[in-house]
Amino acid sequence: MNQQLAGFAPAPVAARMENHGNHMLKVAMQSGSDLLARVGSMVAYEGFVQYEPNPPAVRQIARDWATGEGAPLMKCSGDGLLYLADYGANVVVINLNGDGISVNATNLLAFDAHLQWGVERVKGLAKFAGQGLWNTKISGQGWVALTSRGKPIVVDCGGGEDETYVDPDALVAWSPNLKVKGKRSFKAQSLIGRGSGEAFQMAFSGQGIVVVQPSEDSTDRLRLRG
Amino acid sequence: MAREFQRGHKAKISDLTAGTDLYVGVQITGPGLTFDISCFGLDADERLSDDRYFVFFNQPKTPEESVQLLGAQAGDTESFRVTLDKIPPQIQRLSFTATLDGAGQLSQIAPGYLRIVAGGEEVARYPFSGAEFSTERAVMLGDFYLKDVWRFAAVGQGFDGGLDALLKNFGGEVAQEEPAAAPQPGAGAPSFAPPAQGTAPPAFGAPSGPATPAPAPALQPAQGFAPPPAATPPQAPAPPEPTPPMHAAPTIAAPMTPPGGGPVPPPAPAPAPYGQPPDQQQPPYGQPPAPSAPLPPGYGQPQAPQAPQAPAPPPGYGQPTPPPGYGQQPLFGQVPGQPGAPAAPAGYAVPQGAPQGGAGVAAALQPYKEAPTGQRWTQQNKKMVRVDLGMGGDQAVLARQGSMVLYQGKVDFSYKSAGFSGRIVGNATGQEMQLMRCSGKGQVFLAEKSAMLHPIELQGDAICVSAENVLAFDETLQYEVRRVEGHGIPGGALFTMQFQGTGTIIVKTQGAPVVLPVTPTTFADCNAVVAWSAASQVIVSSQVRMRRNAYPGDTGESVNLQFRGAPGNFIVVQPYEV
Repeated sequence: MNQQLAGFAPAPVAARMENHGNHMLKVAMQSGSDLLARVGSMVAYEGFVQYEPNPPAVRQIARDWATGEGAPLMKCSGDGLLYLADYGANVVVINLNGDGISVNATNLLAFDAHLQWGVERVKGLAKFAGQGLWNTKISGQGWVALTSRGKPIVVDCGGGEDETYVDPDALVAWSPNLKVKGKRSFKAQSLIGRGSGEAFQMAFSGQGIVVVQPSEDSTDRLRLRG
Repeated sequence: MAREFQRGHKAKISDLTAGTDLYVGVQITGPGLTFDISCFGLDADERLSDDRYFVFFNQPKTPEESVQLLGAQAGDTESFRVTLDKIPPQIQRLSFTATLDGAGQLSQIAPGYLRIVAGGEEVARYPFSGAEFSTERAVMLGDFYLKDVWRFAAVGQGFDGGLDALLKNFGGEVAQEEPAAAPQPGAGAPSFAPPAQGTAPPAFGAPSGPATPAPAPALQPAQGFAPPPAATPPQAPAPPEPTPPMHAAPTIAAPMTPPGGGPVPPPAPAPAPYGQPPDQQQPPYGQPPAPSAPLPPGYGQPQAPQAPQAPAPPPGYGQPTPPPGYGQQPLFGQVPGQPGAPAAPAGYAVPQGAPQGGAGVAAALQPYKEAPTGQRWTQQNKKMVRVDLGMGGDQAVLARQGSMVLYQGKVDFSYKSAGFSGRIVGNATGQEMQLMRCSGKGQVFLAEKSAMLHPIELQGDAICVSAENVLAFDETLQYEVRRVEGHGIPGGALFTMQFQGTGTIIVKTQGAPVVLPVTPTTFADCNAVVAWSAASQVIVSSQVRMRRNAYPGDTGESVNLQFRGAPGNFIVVQPYEV
């Protein structure tokens, strides 16, 4: 029996965060370097790992999350191996190494607690309710794991005046230095009879990248579970 | 999901997996046949210029351990670990070969495969069977080769002459190979020679008497490839052999406990927090503790049959070796194999170094980069497709509303009205099919609900696609809506769109579909069928089955579509019933 399953045994730890398959995140936990992860994302762990929902330090910022699209976080600390997943979504592991990234709240799976992070209102989109209003900007030296429903695609914005338009439901992350605008690209008539979020896009311009997922399903499954 | 390769198929490794640490497993068996499976590391001229890059049972790894032989595992006859970014630059190609040992020919083999596993997931599989071969005695199964990036090719080329023909093909000579069988592996590897009894490797004139891997003492060039008299197949190592002396040699690289009554490793220096006696042989996770099994400190698979071969156990891949930096600490009551382990890292050592290929957002996202432009339709990955609107004339594209995820450039989206969508109202699920017209210049990325996308290029031929499986198509295509009526179909009828002309349509399926040829008895569930070639005729067949103990109501499989058509027609079915 073990023979058939042996191919799924975890590979040796080579980094703080790693993919196990495409859909699972493996974090090597060490006391002193805590991790912030989505509440409910833990699927397995090994060793001594403790979970603290909404730790005091986070709660203040989390208040902002509650008002928007925010997702509750938990602080994980201890020694061991931690496996996280979000209902079969693809997991993308990023070592920031000083860069920054803006992430749609529902697409954030986990990140190092020592990173600088904050919840921001996306400028220029205040008028539109719904998706993309709130995002989390993370920067510093450390690791971030994102989720994507399906294998994501990274598009370079080019840097010129040209804008890249993204369906907010499919947006996963983007470079924080990009300029963001809202745009209605559909003519008003075309909206009749269709009430989904396709009515407007987010327009990005500047030097940087945009990550999109091949799905417009932005349901927050971890949150739905309650 | 594993991608199926056929002979001649090629792909970038980066398209298969983002990882560079790969497991390559080969299954090749046949009644009464034994195989030697080896890996040739070839230079740019496809020559074996360096003997040390010929990885086989007697030389289980390359000097820098970029290719390691792992032995039989998890259904694989032989397996390798390949670390692509450790391969030195002069090695441009890794060729995985299987050669028949003893009598027989390759047409006798049972269906086998070569597969690539990365990160615990099988990413590629090249199946083959004896029907593809005749009298050959060796086969080049597949190649990893460097052409800008590492790629994989399913080769499947047979060689009549067996291993020596293969070696000549690679510019090696028999005489050259014999010393290659000898050198000791790198520092810290346990002695890799097969035990004295029986399992002496039959090829390369390996010494049949002493098991020391000393430089081939009794070479017999005349029968260089003939099996030594006493040899038994290497495929069948006998685990409970009397412990060969070299197994008692201290293994430095890994906590392999000597089999059988070998010396017990020193007790763990640290207290075992989980309350296990430090030197307790814990068979983790219900593994049968084989007599000669090493002490797998976790996650392992039973590796007992492999123990006599004892190659330097490379970390990972289900080997009993604890992963470095994770399993070596005595914290969890594991038996440290290293006598007096030098300052084992406490706790879970977390490497904080930069990942392979650099750090930063850009490097981490490199595998997901947009595929380069060039054609009107470019498949970005299995689930996303890009259409370049300025390209190939100013034709517009009709796409399902809501399928746009991103666009660049000046693209105008307009509602595709007219009677078309009206006619299609009330299709199988009662949903409307609404299209939008994308025109202008720029790139539009289309995707929907993580469905797999399949661009189908029509050149004058015709195809019927179930309406809900159409994602987008060139406006130049003619299409008409056809109704397949039948009693029992939900909604009263199945709406399909028949496309004809020259252009591309994007068909989406939930999951990898199956393409079946149309035979006299081809049936499909009307909810799962995706598309069929327009020349085949569709008949609704209701299956009426009276069964006394059937549940009240229907079995759920009562209405099927039967397809009839000339040979050459096909149907596409998805593993998902809408």
